[in-house]
Amino acid sequence: MSEATMTNGTETTTPAAGPVFAVKNLWKVFGPRAGRIPDDTSLHGLSPAELRERTGCTAAVRDVSFEVNKGEVFVVMGLSGSGKSTLVRCLTRLIEPTSGTIAIDGEDVLAMDKARLRELRRHRASMVFQHFGLLPHRSVLDNVAYGLEIQGVGKAERRAKALEVVEKVGLEGLEQRKPGQLSGGQQQRVGLARALAVDPEVLLFDEPFSALDPLIRRDMQEEVVRLHREEGRTMVFITHDLSEALKLGDRIALMRDGRVVQCGTPEEIVGSPADDYVRDFVRDVARADVMSVRSAMRPATGDDESRGAALGPDAKVSEAIEAVARSGFPVRVMDGKRCLGVVDHAGLLAVVAGTAAPAPTPPAPAAPTPTVPGQGEVVG
Amino acid sequence: MRVRTRVMSAVTAGGALLALSGCGAADMSKQASPYANAAGAKTVTLSVQSWVGAQADVAVAEYLLKNELGYRVDKVQIDEVPAWDALSQGRVDAIMEDWGHPDQEQRYVKEKKTIVSGGDIGVTGHIGWYVPTYFAKKHPDVTDWKNLNKYADRFRTSESGGKGQLMDGSPSYVTNDKALVKNLDLDYEVVFAGSEAAQITQIEQFAKEKKPFLTYWYKPQWLFEKVPMTEVKLPEYKEGCDADPAKIKCAYPHTPLQKYFNADFAKKGGDAAEFLKNFKWSEEDQNEVSLMIADKKMSPEDAAKAWVDKNESKWKGWLPK
Amino acid sequence: MATATASSPVRETGIGALLRHRAVGKLLLLAVAAAVLVPILNAKWASGAWPDALTVDLTEPLGRTTDWIIDNRDNHPLFIYFLGHISNAIVLSVRGVYLVLLAAGWAGVTIGAGLVAWRVAGVRLAVMASAAFAVCGLLGMWVPTMQTLALMIVAVLASVVIGLLLGLAGGLNDRCFRVLRPVLDTMQVLPAYAYLLPFALVFGMGVPAAIIATVVYAAPPMARLTALGLRGADGGVMEAVTSLGATGRQRLFSARLPLALKELLLGLNQTIMMALSMAVIASVIGAGGLGDRVYQALSTVDVGQALAAGIPIVLLAVVLDRVTGAAGERAGANAEDSSPLRGGRGWAVAAAGTVVAALAARFADRVDWPTGWVVNIAPSVNTAKEWMVDHIYTGVPVVGGTADWAAHFTDWVLNPVRDGLQGLPWWSVLLVVAALAWLIGTWQTALTAVAAMGAIGVLGVWDKSLDTLAQVLAGVAVTLVLGFAIGVAASRSKRFESLLRPVLDVFQTMPQFVYLIPVVALFGIGRAPAVAAAVVYALPAVVRITTQGLNQVDASAMESSRSLGATSWQQLRQVQLPLARPALMLALNQGVVLVLAVVVIGGLVGGGALGYDVVFGIAQGDLATGLVAGIAIVCLGLMLDRVTQPTARREPSAKKGA
Repeated sequence: MSEATMTNGTETTTPAAGPVFAVKNLWKVFGPRAGRIPDDTSLHGLSPAELRERTGCTAAVRDVSFEVNKGEVFVVMGLSGSGKSTLVRCLTRLIEPTSGTIAIDGEDVLAMDKARLRELRRHRASMVFQHFGLLPHRSVLDNVAYGLEIQGVGKAERRAKALEVVEKVGLEGLEQRKPGQLSGGQQQRVGLARALAVDPEVLLFDEPFSALDPLIRRDMQEEVVRLHREEGRTMVFITHDLSEALKLGDRIALMRDGRVVQCGTPEEIVGSPADDYVRDFVRDVARADVMSVRSAMRPATGDDESRGAALGPDAKVSEAIEAVARSGFPVRVMDGKRCLGVVDHAGLLAVVAGTAAPAPTPPAPAAPTPTVPGQGEVVG
Repeated sequence: MRVRTRVMSAVTAGGALLALSGCGAADMSKQASPYANAAGAKTVTLSVQSWVGAQADVAVAEYLLKNELGYRVDKVQIDEVPAWDALSQGRVDAIMEDWGHPDQEQRYVKEKKTIVSGGDIGVTGHIGWYVPTYFAKKHPDVTDWKNLNKYADRFRTSESGGKGQLMDGSPSYVTNDKALVKNLDLDYEVVFAGSEAAQITQIEQFAKEKKPFLTYWYKPQWLFEKVPMTEVKLPEYKEGCDADPAKIKCAYPHTPLQKYFNADFAKKGGDAAEFLKNFKWSEEDQNEVSLMIADKKMSPEDAAKAWVDKNESKWKGWLPK
Repeated sequence: MATATASSPVRETGIGALLRHRAVGKLLLLAVAAAVLVPILNAKWASGAWPDALTVDLTEPLGRTTDWIIDNRDNHPLFIYFLGHISNAIVLSVRGVYLVLLAAGWAGVTIGAGLVAWRVAGVRLAVMASAAFAVCGLLGMWVPTMQTLALMIVAVLASVVIGLLLGLAGGLNDRCFRVLRPVLDTMQVLPAYAYLLPFALVFGMGVPAAIIATVVYAAPPMARLTALGLRGADGGVMEAVTSLGATGRQRLFSARLPLALKELLLGLNQTIMMALSMAVIASVIGAGGLGDRVYQALSTVDVGQALAAGIPIVLLAVVLDRVTGAAGERAGANAEDSSPLRGGRGWAVAAAGTVVAALAARFADRVDWPTGWVVNIAPSVNTAKEWMVDHIYTGVPVVGGTADWAAHFTDWVLNPVRDGLQGLPWWSVLLVVAALAWLIGTWQTALTAVAAMGAIGVLGVWDKSLDTLAQVLAGVAVTLVLGFAIGVAASRSKRFESLLRPVLDVFQTMPQFVYLIPVVALFGIGRAPAVAAAVVYALPAVVRITTQGLNQVDASAMESSRSLGATSWQQLRQVQLPLARPALMLALNQGVVLVLAVVVIGGLVGGGALGYDVVFGIAQGDLATGLVAGIAIVCLGLMLDRVTQPTARREPSAKKGA
């Protein structure tokens, strides 16, 4: 699977605005004389262990390319050690990449001088961290205002702005507390508010909720969904939690050993895993909550078009199941006035069972030739 | 921003300090003690030597300077040789009792002229080796150095190991004992008590148990009143026999004890300088005060007061007319 | 027996065997080297003590240096245009502070100290601080206390500034850190006493020399902790700050420094304690103040007077330690300060209170501490001491008196050890040092230790150093036996520990000098009292580290051994002591360093050897003797530290602030 084709695929879906971030052939190698690794193609095929043995280097990010579009939530997902945290730090050069290119709004990030880079960090991309990174000696309000303080904003102005953001993330009344007196969830709200206070173009999240307990994590995820809905800010979100990725991501890049193994919508990832690794990864997902009715559609026949509930093409399969169960008839998938097709018991069951492909291969032995069924195929 | 102001203020403060200290040359040999003349009081700084006789001199001088002439008196304890240096630098105004330091005298009085002699204090000092009288009576021949080796065994202590112990006092005292022991082929080890007081404590302990001991000691000293001691005769002192410290083979001289003043103080010290120049008393007087301080554990001030109250006729003459 | 160890016999023997293997290898290598070298050395310089042919006599050049310095001090440009200004600045600063303190009067200082303590450490310590100053006045020590305080303030400020700058360099620059780290680590183990003479010579007797010696002694912990604190800043926070686009300076001032606040305050605390300790010892070179009173009293064995001057020192030490310690803890905690006197307003109130108190005293014409309020404790203390000396000094039935103990200790322990050491061929001493240092560390450690020991020989003070070493070894042995016993007892009984803690606190904050007074009264003069003082001084640190080490032993290991039915002796021997080994090693190291520091000062009470030479050097202005002895002490300290310091240095060592 080459990343290039995938990038091409996504590029075509949003042709209007240029990408916010465009990353091309990015490498980050740690170790002695790291610079030689990306150029030496003979090393590219090696596994991390082999590479370490041969060169003493670790490639945290290997030849990664993707683009983040304006207004979308782009999730980078992978297990620990897959290089995802390194990747996001490369975006604002908190970690200096070894080779490749990164562009923000078309501007080359790697070519920026110190001042320009600071500008980028101050105004265009702010980050939320797994371990919050709050200043323990400052109050909540001063932590939130910190980014503005660094920019040289006057005290009154930055406090007013900070107060506003504090309210937005639901921390009213805690302004004078110190971070040490807050719960984990509250601390991460401060971290979020600090990032928001500078009104950045992009928010970068580095596993922001993995240190939180499950209930609070869900609250925070909803908070992010709400913020995204209200402000439409572009977000890059790093997580190791698949359900979080599926819940928040407009598109997901799945990483393993420094490479992106698949990049696509949640539905693509779950519905048509690129390889066994991904398939194994998504096996236990509640597919009905991820897959849209499109994937279970068949062309309308007979009087299908005249009865049953109507759903939009992006409705989830779980909704269709509910509707089919209630009415007893197949559900019509309507795009405006036009009927795209219908969904019936058989189609829905096939999605839930993970066999919703034209070629119903049994999932267990994992056929070596995965035919990739894209959504276009069904529509077309 | 804030940083810059802070740095600026630090630089300014440093600069001011430098300016205050008189930009350009700064002769640190002309710096008084920072505690001198504080709060408007006229201050005299006296060097207190660690032996009691000198403390008696200083106590009486201090008492009179304070109560008759209205000075504040600072006392600094400095060992003998460094005291000369301090005196030269003006950190100390006067040394009341010096036992003879020809090298220093040559350097500071004759060459640098930063110190001037203040005359006799009126007491003659003599250093020697002593054994307790109770022991000397039983063994009269111990008082000749030639017989010392015979008694080395009797003077043995755990500190001296296999040899006899010759007890010395403070490291600052004028002493040739190590050289003497070596050059006279004595089977003795010089053990330094570390301070005169430690030495006195030890002597008193020995005396209490009537044990024999051999010690470096000097006259005048109040301890003779409490523990009678007899001098051991060393080869006679002759002028110049102590010229080479390593080859010394003779006894210590008799030294008229001297006062020394800082040259500036002697010139500009006013009443205090004149008073200290006039200060001159006798061995008995000094011993009386010493005994009160060291044996009766009176504070030097009380001891001085007791003496001053009794001897008005003696000190009246010291005051400037 | 089988219970606790039976569970992991394989691992035990595995590691043990490996260790033994490596140790044997090192020893073999050393033995081979020795077999080759020793015959050659022996053939060439066959003597027990260090061969004369290998010594360098520094008397001549050092004597010339002394003369040159004294002759040129008032006219050479180096002195007039550089050192003179430093000296001047110090005198002026000390004088300024001293005048301010005098102008504030006793009322201003007492109230002011209380208010400052209240701002940084709370009400309880405020009362304590005020009371401490009042006691200083009551004891008739007001003026010396102010002199010492003035000296301390200037010395601590200078130490903090210098320490901060060095610490910043080391904290922000890796190369600086690599250079600074070993230097600072080493400086921290050197006895204060070794520093005095060179400064006294260059600056003359008096306050400037005392201050500079104090700064040199007290700045390293500040530098060390600043560097460690800055390097230890939470990486996550620093990254977050960078990600917001902070400049280097913003990162330093708004994040890195505040994050290291706790270490900075700990550094301040250690610096203050070390400065106080040194300011007292520096009375030997004319620092004046309280130390001078102790020194004077010591020279007349006036225990009462020494105590009267010693108590203010201890009070100052305890108050300063507690206040800065509490400030450090406050900085660490995240208490929300909601009182109306938060921040600047509180300080304004404190300042106003001080000024009012000072003015009130001035108008009442009571600027000086009123003479009528002085309690003279000396006579009664001396009476008590006389009684003690009369009754326990000697001839006590059955147990013997303290003086008898001292004599026995000298006869049975100190003399044999000294004679034994001095009787050893010089090369075998080097060999033993090399073997010990190598076994416990790396070949670099061994090399440093041997080089230090060799330097001692070359300087021509071999015998004296071995005498000092014998005292140190005897002192360390006693300290460890007592310290481990008390430490084990404290770790077993919570009640005992809570009784012990305040005692240790006070003992740990006392300057070295103070210990000399009671031992002279009890043990007379000689090496025994010097060793006794050293033991008393080193004991608290050893007890504390031992107790901590034993208490920190993994609870689950203890629990499992209990569940297997181990008796409490078995637990101690088989679980606690082996697991607490690193702590015990640290205790040994600290014990050695602290004992050396005091054994050397023991020169003042008849300890002889190197310590006496330093005293002599200072007393006679004899640089050759004093400096050589000082260097030998430094070398001895270096060697002892290397021989007892496992390679893996523990980062924030529980080092005693003195």
